[in-house]
Amino acid sequence: MPWGINLKDILAKVVDTATQKFDAEYAEIRAQKLFKTMLTLKEERVEAAKEGIENGAALRVLIDGAWGFASVGTFNLETLTSALSDACKMAKAASSKLKTPIKLAKGKAFEDKVLSKPRKNPSQISIEDKIATTSAMAKTILSYDRRVRSCTIDYLDLVGTSYFMNNEGAYIEQDKLYVWSRITATAKEAEILTFSREEIGSTAGYEVFDTETPEIVGAKVAERAVDQLKAKAPKGGKFKAVLGPNVVGVFVHEAFGHLAEADLTLSGSVLMDKFGKKIASDIITLYDDGTVEGAFGSFKYDDEGVPAQKTLLVKDGVVVGLMHNRETASKFNAQPTGNARAEDFRVEPIIRMRNTFMEPKDYSFEELVEDIKFGYYFKSFRGGQANLDGTFQVGVQEAYEIVKGEVGEPVRNASISGNTLETLYKVDAVGKDFELSPGRCGKGQTAFVCDGGPHIRVKEVIVGGSA
Amino acid sequence: MVVLKEEETLSLAEDTVNFAVKKGADEAEVFIYQGLTTAVAIERGQIAKSSRIIDQGLGVRAIVNSAAGFAYTNVLGDKGALEETALKALKSAKASKPDNDWKGLPPKKPFQHVKNTFDKSVLELSADDLVKIASIMLEAAEKTDKRVFPIEGGVGASYLSRAVANSNGVLGFDFGTVVECSLATIAREKGEVTPVCFEFNVERNYKVDPEWVGKEAARLAVSALKAKGVETKNMKVVLAHFALQQLLYYTLMNAVKADYVQRNQSAFQGKIGEKVASETVTIYDDGLLGGGLHTWKFDGEGVPQQKTLIIDKGVLRGFIYDNYTARKEGKESTGNASRAGYLSTPNVEPTNFHFIPGKKSPQELINEIDEGLLVYSIQGAHSSNPASGEFSVVASPALKIENGEIAHATMGVMLAGNVFQVIKNVSALANNERKIGPLVAPWILVENVKVIGK
Repeated sequence: MPWGINLKDILAKVVDTATQKFDAEYAEIRAQKLFKTMLTLKEERVEAAKEGIENGAALRVLIDGAWGFASVGTFNLETLTSALSDACKMAKAASSKLKTPIKLAKGKAFEDKVLSKPRKNPSQISIEDKIATTSAMAKTILSYDRRVRSCTIDYLDLVGTSYFMNNEGAYIEQDKLYVWSRITATAKEAEILTFSREEIGSTAGYEVFDTETPEIVGAKVAERAVDQLKAKAPKGGKFKAVLGPNVVGVFVHEAFGHLAEADLTLSGSVLMDKFGKKIASDIITLYDDGTVEGAFGSFKYDDEGVPAQKTLLVKDGVVVGLMHNRETASKFNAQPTGNARAEDFRVEPIIRMRNTFMEPKDYSFEELVEDIKFGYYFKSFRGGQANLDGTFQVGVQEAYEIVKGEVGEPVRNASISGNTLETLYKVDAVGKDFELSPGRCGKGQTAFVCDGGPHIRVKEVIVGGSA
Repeated sequence: MVVLKEEETLSLAEDTVNFAVKKGADEAEVFIYQGLTTAVAIERGQIAKSSRIIDQGLGVRAIVNSAAGFAYTNVLGDKGALEETALKALKSAKASKPDNDWKGLPPKKPFQHVKNTFDKSVLELSADDLVKIASIMLEAAEKTDKRVFPIEGGVGASYLSRAVANSNGVLGFDFGTVVECSLATIAREKGEVTPVCFEFNVERNYKVDPEWVGKEAARLAVSALKAKGVETKNMKVVLAHFALQQLLYYTLMNAVKADYVQRNQSAFQGKIGEKVASETVTIYDDGLLGGGLHTWKFDGEGVPQQKTLIIDKGVLRGFIYDNYTARKEGKESTGNASRAGYLSTPNVEPTNFHFIPGKKSPQELINEIDEGLLVYSIQGAHSSNPASGEFSVVASPALKIENGEIAHATMGVMLAGNVFQVIKNVSALANNERKIGPLVAPWILVENVKVIGK
């Protein structure tokens, strides 16, 4: 279908109509053509191999200082024009009660075509091959130990193109490519049930399975589920802790990152009056970086047409940056940072993280652990969540006691909590290693992200244990 | 805008099923979903955004040699695109291995009558009407207390329709409405910021009370100010609606799914007829509940929805099934096949997971507690161990109860334990039942929960 040629003209007509007929101050249209392949394996059974097409367009207009948004699953000019009329009506209705009109930070309007260059394009890998890869993973898990009782493997690849145009002259065609898998296993012995999970995610291509092979990933998931069977419950209370890169990542993302999303900062997060101030110990430097090659949270332009960048959030303990879209950048008199992301054409772009991490320093793992008489080593997370008041929680799927400077017995179902800013001050040593883990972040919409960092030591965290 | 009518939808579904069978499918099934949502959003104290979203699409499940393939598209206007989708489903099925447990798509059965699932007046709400409703909610919150800041929220009105057809002659169309308003607030005072406090109202009929939502969201935020720590000890905990839903969603609700039971992932495996909860607990999965958020004539594969007893006075009586898991045990589906619109194959999910309420008012529940915690919301419930039910979460916002009264707000409080122990330790349920996601339940009082504080 000759969409590539026609689509640009159609988009241009809609944007012109928005400004000329409806007097929009700002108008943008995002069109997407997406192809997805999904698999769910339960044990070795492929529940259903799934393929899908999602095509559609999103229109966003600013009229009298208020946003109007409409989305439809078609590129038909007539339908798009009717959706535009809807969006404009919506904006006018919203503007009737407006207190502070919305303004957008100025920026360069880019014209660009971004092509993905995978070594192995998932759209050229047969469904049989994808079934073979995930089945090999399932086989590895189920044959690892007789106590492994089940495994579930979800696989997704998404390829397509998004088209962005606004009335300021921007026009960007950008390929999308994501490969993702979530692998979980349960093990059972007597009345004890354990659960283990891993995620794989890449924007590079299907080649991610060349390094994250079914055998390596499968064994890792199964081994954890089995090891947890002999783990004991952690104690509840305040303890010294060493956090692994995977837990540091989710801590940086959940506990700090969300507070530094400028929309949430404006909503009253504890960072609101902390800009330029010290909020963490000197050894802490944090980034949100959309430019890490092949990482799960990377892209070239965000969904407002702003180039992704490496954004410094905290330098040597001082808050120096926030993550912005054009609206919040205008409020803060700052530059947009390329953090406006929409899950797909059905929803509007909001401020999201990309690859968020702590910069490594100079401690070895042994040095981090050696001075701890009793504490915990939190190695791998299960989930995390934070609140605007700075209270965070990170659930941990793999943890160990630290006894007299050595990593000891495993503990299960621990979680850590505390106040983000207090905890950032309590970080007293930062390791020299570094690791990024892919994941998905929910903020009404799902975004693909990475987070990570080195191992770190914290003087005190609250451990939510039941023992 | 293009709204698919019943006849049109049904003939699209039937035609596509027939095409798939003609092209070699042993069995075929089509599910069509359509959703139209008009919404206004509140952001940082003002209404500044409004949206209209139209989403529709079709999913085909084709079975060849006892292997299922699935494909979907949101391009409905084009017959070629639909046929291509059916062919993709066939191709996927052929790429898979036969499944010995596959016993066919569901047979045709009469659908049930459902009540209060559609209200024409919801469809008639314009953007201006929604702005009015949102400003009532916003003003109610702002008037309640100066320290309150409404951070986000909104009002939405949706029309949803679903159609299913399969090669066994199942053919159905159902439609409904949903209207909701919600508000998240914080309160600020002298450098203190409360956690986010949330209130909402969601109904199938146009019977929402935006003023109540605004006031409650504000009242909760004010009550969360002047927070203090608590001692680490075991105490009574009242789980309010939202906290209960969060805690059960990732644990108990999974444990009753046949899929989890059959696959050794449920703590309830082999426990039918055993006492698994306190005698005060009776739970139905009620797919026919009047006005229920998940009430439909039929489920995601065209099986009539029904009312299924799960726990009767503490005794485990049943699990929930879709067609596949039911046939595997030689049983009949309980009508619990759920779909993520047109994007997914059926999955076993609860419909309206209904805790039969008690007689006491929430106030009476609190009055009888010497020392305890009233928990409105939980942070980190999704990090619970979904298999064993063990959890370790932050309670926020949560209020300390002393001598039968709310004493003060708390900060930095964690709860740790096991959900399957929690339901054994329920000593009372209040009479304030509400709908929240798949849960319909009142506040519950749980004895002896590990609270971790200072």
